[in-house]
Order: sequence, then structure tokens, then C-alpha cells
Amino acid sequence: MWYPLSTVATQAAITSTPEGNAVLRWLHGIAPESVPAWTLPLVTASISVAFVVTMIALIAMVAVWLERKISGHIQCRYGPMYAGVWHGWAQTIADGVKLLQKEDMIPLGADRPLFMLAPAIVLGAIFGAFVAMPLAPDMFFADINMGVFFILGMSSLTTIGVVMSGWASNSKWSLYGAMREAAQVVAYEIPLGLALMVPLIVAGTFNLREASALQSDWFGMGWLLFKNPFVFPAAILFFIAALAETKRAPFDLPEAESELVAGFLTEYSGIRWSFFFMEEYAAMYLMSLVAAVFFFGGFESPSTHMAGEWFGGGSFVHNLVAALTLIVKSMMGVIFMMWIRWTLPRVRIDQVMTMGYKYLTPLSLICVLGAAVWEALIA
Amino acid sequence: MNETQEALRKPVTVGGYFKNIWDSLFTTIAGLKITGGYFFQKPITVQYPDERLPIPERYRGIHYLEQDKCIECYACARACPVDCIDMEAVRHGKELEWVKFTIDYQKCMFCELCVYPCPKQCIHQGQEFAFVVEDRNELKHDLLSYQGMSRDARIRKKEAEAKKAAKEAAKKAKAEAAAKAKAEEEKNAPGEESSEDA
Repeated sequence: MWYPLSTVATQAAITSTPEGNAVLRWLHGIAPESVPAWTLPLVTASISVAFVVTMIALIAMVAVWLERKISGHIQCRYGPMYAGVWHGWAQTIADGVKLLQKEDMIPLGADRPLFMLAPAIVLGAIFGAFVAMPLAPDMFFADINMGVFFILGMSSLTTIGVVMSGWASNSKWSLYGAMREAAQVVAYEIPLGLALMVPLIVAGTFNLREASALQSDWFGMGWLLFKNPFVFPAAILFFIAALAETKRAPFDLPEAESELVAGFLTEYSGIRWSFFFMEEYAAMYLMSLVAAVFFFGGFESPSTHMAGEWFGGGSFVHNLVAALTLIVKSMMGVIFMMWIRWTLPRVRIDQVMTMGYKYLTPLSLICVLGAAVWEALIA
Repeated sequence: MNETQEALRKPVTVGGYFKNIWDSLFTTIAGLKITGGYFFQKPITVQYPDERLPIPERYRGIHYLEQDKCIECYACARACPVDCIDMEAVRHGKELEWVKFTIDYQKCMFCELCVYPCPKQCIHQGQEFAFVVEDRNELKHDLLSYQGMSRDARIRKKEAEAKKAAKEAAKKAKAEAAAKAKAEEEKNAPGEESSEDA
């Protein structure tokens, strides 16, 4: 089991200070004196890794089921109905078990080490990105000051894994897919970061937890979306760029199952394939989470506000409601991405490039400039 | 150079640039409206093995045979354009002892031509359309619901035989009686005949 090792390393590096990690603080409080202090970060890292891995697996499971149900209902079908009794909820578990049992195929001409490393890098990078994810005011793994940069950086690392898989597969379809992915990510990284600069200018912090917490005014509706007129177009730009970043339709050119068999996934099967799949849904969730935190109030909402009023700010119930609020908001983003996927046809690669360089980049620059001027002069 | 490439070569005007943005946004919203509408519609598909769409009354499905009515006249087999019907039965007087009545569904084209010529109207095409076999030879589907003779036919046969036997016995008895009577007559008056002869 060397897959989550990169995550362990990241976790250990980031979560070794009590101020930066709620779990570590909690462990410091309850651990007896006889336990050596250096074990606590390791225990913390293990707990956090277990939590993150479980959470990503659960999110991917629910998201895959949702995707199939939503696609079914948009096409006037039912989608899975049998596995598990209620509306096929266990379909993903059944599929996962099937994928685990499948033969682990590596093509003859493939670059074996790279081929095996690619899914690990992809999944490890996305696991690492989840470290900076806040859940509630007092529920977080790593309170990183540059949380946004960390998340964007880690999620861009998945591209390396994808390019690696495309090259190592020794298949022209895979290579085409990987090249498209590289081109697409290079083009859309710029508008993604620039669109995210707009709420960052308004919030004045790169820390996801702090950015969430400062949107608690106006009865929990002090969302950054409402605080500056340039945040709303920035949200649309960010969402489009996030679709391209996560290889979702209409920008699913790296996979493009009608043109490139399955793109960079062509030669993968079984559990390695499911790692890529898991990464896709985890990345969707991560992008929706960043959008929820920086545009739609993070874990702040009227419900969180009421919980804070009634049970006291920082109480367990308040934290729980806040975490649920953030998860629901992020899942709404994921559902919207699925809705988009089953609405729009795939765009051509030249259209993708045109959109990225000629439309999104200048528009996001205008938004950054406008937001900065607005903040300096009016707000 | 096709239309698309020409359109791509053309420089985008300022108005065209903003029109593109406007178009892409509003066509997307229009599309989302449509798919959202479908999302909240009731699905039009049915959960097939559990619920089925109604099958028309005159549907030409897999055949079924009213075996008791059938008289093994070969009318259906003769009518069949692909010769997929084969039947065999042993006759016991009026009753039939069935050996087989097969339809080869590798050949059958469900044309219903076998149904019309039947003088007893005993072969029909039913509502069932799906069947699965593991071997190609099993597609020679046997329509018989039982082999040999039916219980009724057996009883009828037995009755007929009994009747026949009784008839024969009666005949025999009659004949015997007649013979006996004759013999007795001869015995009683042997002289008369001879005297007559003489």
C-alpha cells in the first residue's frame, strides 16, 4: 500500500503544529504525559489520512450514483434501480467490487513503472489537495495560510499523472488524450486562478477557513458573491474554467469516448482505472468546494447562523451544521456540473483553446481589475 | 477549406465578440432549461421484467397449440413457407398418441400463415416473445404440453375398446348361441333332416 504515501508526507509536513491542526490540538489535550510528543503528529496524520480517504471514497461513491441517476432522469430513464433496494443506491459499491476483482492489465509495450505510477500520482495529488479543505470553524486538517494556492497547485499535479498515463500506455489514443489534457489545463489554469483572484481581493485572505468565517454577517448570507459586483461574473468564469480543469463535459476532450476510445484511460482497467475515476469525482468536489467557499459563503448560511445563535458559536452542533452546509453546497456544485454535462455537447479542441485564451482570460482580467478598483474606491 | 475553417479565419469584430459571449451564455441557459424540464418529468421507460407495456391482442408471438383439438392433419406444416413445423403422432383409432410437434424457431418468421389453414383452429400465436436457450438445437421448440395420449383420450380409447370388446363378445355370444341352437336343433331332430334329404 504505497498509494497514500504522498498524502502521508504532505499531512505530516503540514499538520505537525498544534495551531494548524484541530485533531492535533485535541490529541494534545487528551493524550497522557507518558506518550512521547513526537508520536502525536504521526497519529494525527494517520487519523487525517483515514478521514480524507474515507471521505473521498464516500464522495466518489455518492457522486457516481448521482451522476447515473441524474443522467438517467435527464434522458427520461430511471438509471440504476436494482442494486440495494432503494433506487439502486448500492450500484457503485457493486461496481467497485467488480472493478477490484478485475484482472490488472498492463499492455505489452507500455512503460510499466510509469503506467503503474500514474494513477498513484493522480489520486495522491487529489488526496493531498483535500488536506486544505475546511469543514467547519473548528473542523479542519491543515489551516494553511495559502490554502487556495495549495489546492490549485495540488489539483494541477493530477495533470502530470494524466500526461504520464497517456505516454506510458503506448497507445495513440492515450497520447492524444494526454496532449489534449495538457493543452487544456495550460489554457485554463490562467482564467481559473484569475477568476479566483476576484473573491480573494474582496476577502483579503488565502485561507479557506478564514474566508468562510468572514462571510457570516447579514444573517449568514454575507457571501462574497453579494459583496462586489465583479464576483458574480468571476463565479461564472471560475465555473467554466473548473469544468475544463476537471475534464468534465463539455470539455471532456481528454476522454472523448466517441473520438479517442477513452482517451488517456484507454489502456487502463480494473482498480487503476477506478483510481482515475475516483480522482475525477474528487476533483469535481474539490472545485465545487473552492467555489462554495469563495463565492457562496463557505460553511456560512442562515442554518449555520441559527445553529450558532442557539447552541453557541463554536459548539459541536454549530460545527456539525457548518460542515453539513459546506458539504451540501459543494454537492450542489457537483450536481450542477452533472447537469451541464448532460446538456451541452462536447466542444472542439480549437473551440476550447479559443474560449480559454480569447474569452475567459481577458474577461477574468477585466474582473480582477474591476474588483480591485471597486474595493479601492467604493468598498 | 470548409465553412467552419472560413468562419475561424474571419477576424471577430468587437460586436461579434460580445455577441459570442451572449450567445454562449443564453444558449447554455436554454439548454439547461430543457434538460431540467426533462429531469423533473416522469421517466417514460418501464422496469422491464417487473412491469411490461401492454402487448396487442393480435400480436404474433411464440406459438401455442391446443393439443386436444389437433387432429394431426399437417395443414399448418404444409402452409408453412419455411417448413419449420414438424409433427408426429401414432393413431389408435380416432385417438392420437403424440410423439412430437416442433416448431424450429431458427427458421420461423412469425408470419402467422400456419394459423389460418388449421381446420380445428388449434394452433395460435401468443403474447410471449422472449425465450432463451443455451443450445441452438433447443430452438426447435416442442409445443406439446404432454407426450403420448391425454387422459381423456385414454379413457375414450378404453371405453371404445370396452365397447368394441363388448360388441364382439355380444356378437360372439350371439354366434355361439346361434351355433348352439343349430346344434341343438340338429340333435333334437336328426331324423327329420335326413328324412327330408332322403
